[in-house]
Amino acid sequence: MGLAARLLEEARFSTVVLTPMPEFHRVVGIPRSVAIEYPFGRPVGDVGDSKGQREVLLETLSVLAKAEKPGEIWHLPFTWPESPRETKWQPPEMSPIVSLYLDEIKEARRRAR
Amino acid sequence: MEKSEKTVDGFRFLPPSLSAWIQTRIPEQFEGSIPWTPLSKPVNQATFSMVTSAGISLKTEPPFDMEREKREPTWGDRSYRALPKNAGEGDITVNHLHINTGYILKDINVMLPLTRMREFEEEGIIGSLAPTAYSFYGFQWENNDFLTEAIEPMARQMQAEGVDAVILIPA
Repeated sequence: MGLAARLLEEARFSTVVLTPMPEFHRVVGIPRSVAIEYPFGRPVGDVGDSKGQREVLLETLSVLAKAEKPGEIWHLPFTWPESPRETKWQPPEMSPIVSLYLDEIKEARRRAR
Repeated sequence: MEKSEKTVDGFRFLPPSLSAWIQTRIPEQFEGSIPWTPLSKPVNQATFSMVTSAGISLKTEPPFDMEREKREPTWGDRSYRALPKNAGEGDITVNHLHINTGYILKDINVMLPLTRMREFEEEGIIGSLAPTAYSFYGFQWENNDFLTEAIEPMARQMQAEGVDAVILIPA
């Protein structure tokens, strides 16, 4: 998504990426990021939580106006009410790429310990 | 640049093994230049569009191709879909092999907040919401062809619709 933001910014649009994974900025260089610690697939807020969704979106809009230079990341203070395990954000089946790299993924964890 | 007391941990919701693996694949920091287009007018006068990478399509159009990705795990659909600003849960289907898509089917606003942005338009918080929002498919593995096949056509339609600013929301 960072590359898409860069292309649009070069095409003279002002962009902001609302992202649950702000670390990806380090890969591509994103003009403006708003980081949110919400589970993947629900970055704006939970199902039916229109008030919470509005708050996240208002903060996102405000960053478009107040960011001063490329590469800024604004971290939102909101917290998700469930533990990571309870969020059930993952797909019902392991994704094809994770299946393909499963040995490498397990090895990465062993090395990180 | 950190602007608030909380620092978001993007790895918090990932299983430890996947988290460790991703961390081996991303650099410590970005080196290079970043494009920049300042917002040309106040938010309450600007025209907005939105882009999500969640694989949302209209039921009346072909869905994003998941079957080929299941056969070829490093391939991701590079097409995109235009979505009318009044689209709701009843109009869409969602295809994405890397998230639970069920929440978006219950409330499109968790991923692509069209209802919220239409409210903001009515309330005068934004100038306007452009007629079209967009979805592509976020799994693009070491291949940037989606930029020319999906993002450039979006940019042309945004220009035609007078868009000033774009909110991008990855899944």
